[in-house]
Amino acid sequence: MQFRIDNASDRPVYQQIIGQIKRDIALGRLIKDEKLPTVRQLARQLAINPNTIAKAYRQLEQEGIIVTKPGAGAFVADLDSSLSRAVRKKLLSEELERIAVEAYHMQIDKETLSGWFNNAIEKFNLSTKKGQTNG
Amino acid sequence: MFTLIKREIQDHLVYFLGAAILSAILITLLVSAMYHTEAGDSPVFIGLSIPVIVVLIIGCTAMGVSQMYTDRSRKISTFLSSLLVTRGRILIARIITGTLAILTVLLPLTITGMVLWRLFAPPIPIYSGLIFDIFVVTFLMGFACYCLGLQTSWTSSRITPTLGGLVLTCILVPLILVKGFGLHIKVILVLFIVASLIRTWQRFKTTAL
Amino acid sequence: MDDSVIKVENLVKYFDGRCVLDGINLNVPRGCIYGLLGRNGSGKTTTVRILLGLDSPTRGQTFLLDTKSTNLSAKVHGRIGYTAEGHNLIQNYKVSRLIKLCKDLSLQWNDEFFSHLIETFRLPADRRVRELSIGMRAQLNLSLAMAIDPELLILDDPTLGLDTVARRQFLELAIELIQQQGKTILFCSHILSDVERIADRIGILAAGKLVVDCPLEELKKRVKKLRVIFPESAPANLYLTEIINQQIQGREMVITVANWNQQKQTVLETFKPSSCTEIPMSLEDIFIECTKPNPVPDTDG
Repeated sequence: MQFRIDNASDRPVYQQIIGQIKRDIALGRLIKDEKLPTVRQLARQLAINPNTIAKAYRQLEQEGIIVTKPGAGAFVADLDSSLSRAVRKKLLSEELERIAVEAYHMQIDKETLSGWFNNAIEKFNLSTKKGQTNG
Repeated sequence: MFTLIKREIQDHLVYFLGAAILSAILITLLVSAMYHTEAGDSPVFIGLSIPVIVVLIIGCTAMGVSQMYTDRSRKISTFLSSLLVTRGRILIARIITGTLAILTVLLPLTITGMVLWRLFAPPIPIYSGLIFDIFVVTFLMGFACYCLGLQTSWTSSRITPTLGGLVLTCILVPLILVKGFGLHIKVILVLFIVASLIRTWQRFKTTAL
Repeated sequence: MDDSVIKVENLVKYFDGRCVLDGINLNVPRGCIYGLLGRNGSGKTTTVRILLGLDSPTRGQTFLLDTKSTNLSAKVHGRIGYTAEGHNLIQNYKVSRLIKLCKDLSLQWNDEFFSHLIETFRLPADRRVRELSIGMRAQLNLSLAMAIDPELLILDDPTLGLDTVARRQFLELAIELIQQQGKTILFCSHILSDVERIADRIGILAAGKLVVDCPLEELKKRVKKLRVIFPESAPANLYLTEIINQQIQGREMVITVANWNQQKQTVLETFKPSSCTEIPMSLEDIFIECTKPNPVPDTDG
């Protein structure tokens, strides 16, 4: 697992780690039930305070993205679990609203935005209906 | 503590060597003087002892100055403070080292003197403790100058304490000639030493390192 | 119960009539990795030196491991690893002599760890300290500080002079130490990317005051830089507290505020701005904003 920490970013380090793990899962680089590196391993690899990594893992677990099994480590969760769906809906809605606000300020019209959005969906191979995955 | 003393000695080895050499020279002079002159030649001894005392005084002051000056310029106490020490221990180790250096000169000399006295007991009855008294007063004088060196060079330049040492000598030597090696001299010297050490202790403990 | 390893209470320090520290209050709990930031001459080194008893405060007091700084015993010194700014050590000693001195004057010495460090850094034992480059002196200094298995590590600009690889080695070393649990580290640094990687909490010293003192991850949330455009000319006074910086140009105002919350948002909205965008700030941006010398509103035209 390769991560990059961007020091010029306005996002705290733990959020960057969360973002990159989510991205890797969405891109299929991390698959269901795959074991994530331990906090210690990742801390050593990235030369980052283990507390930061622990915080990222905790939040990912709260959002239902990963599952920690005591003694075994952290694993990518089964994304079809309904428990996390409510959380996912909340987060995604917030993100979508944020994009809509930005588009408003940048004076991008609805059709253009929809077009760009569809391109993003294509890129990440989102399934057309719940239950079917391609890629 | 032992480590600190060892460190001080290593850093000022030249003074210990100088002390040993001085001691050796003086013993040689003393022995040859004993064998080649007659018992009534006490003025010769006195004449000989004045430059010796001056050398001793300058050496003691220089040692005190050197210890504090090297500490300041090389920031030795600053570094040592980060280790398992306190400022008090550093200073005590320093003073012990200085004392050892002075004793390196005086002890062999005194022992030789006592031995020679046994061998060449003069016809004039002089009280037997004289050599011991000479030793004590000379030691106190040297130690007083050493303390002066320590005290003044912790915060000021090198020249002042050395001059101070010389001034002290000029006062003390005639004082000894007049009053002899009696109790008065010892008391004055001890008081001076105590005051000087207290001042040095205060300064050393509170200066920014 | 109070488990502060480092405590600073109302610390004030004057140098020749010039005020360097103007009432600093700080608490570093056990296990915290605290990054103290500030521009050159802001008082970081002064604070550290006063903590270690190398200098005395003009007013106020400081405590290390529950002991007053002016009264630190040898044992407390032995539990603290310290690297001074500049990595001077004792210049004319041979490296081997210096190592022996530190070893003899320590409470506990982890020889295995130390030898491993010396090997990793490739430090020569028979050269004099003054002959080493500053990078090697830094590595020696760090190794000596860590070899005593300290409870508290105080590092003043530890990566000064280190090349990129050596800096990375230092970071990895710090991470190893943090993994050991219960160790507290206070370090002053100019390299913000390093601080961002390993610190839990951050403090920023500016103009003699600790203008920021909070967990690192909250810093970016709390300090906000906004570009606000008003329909008519921008008001001179927004009645907002904790403004770090403010610049007005006609209808546009760029304002940096600490501890941004809903209340302040509401206050801002009462002025009916036509738009309000957030300008993203990295740690470096935040640092620059907080250490600008003139935190008073600056009006233009």
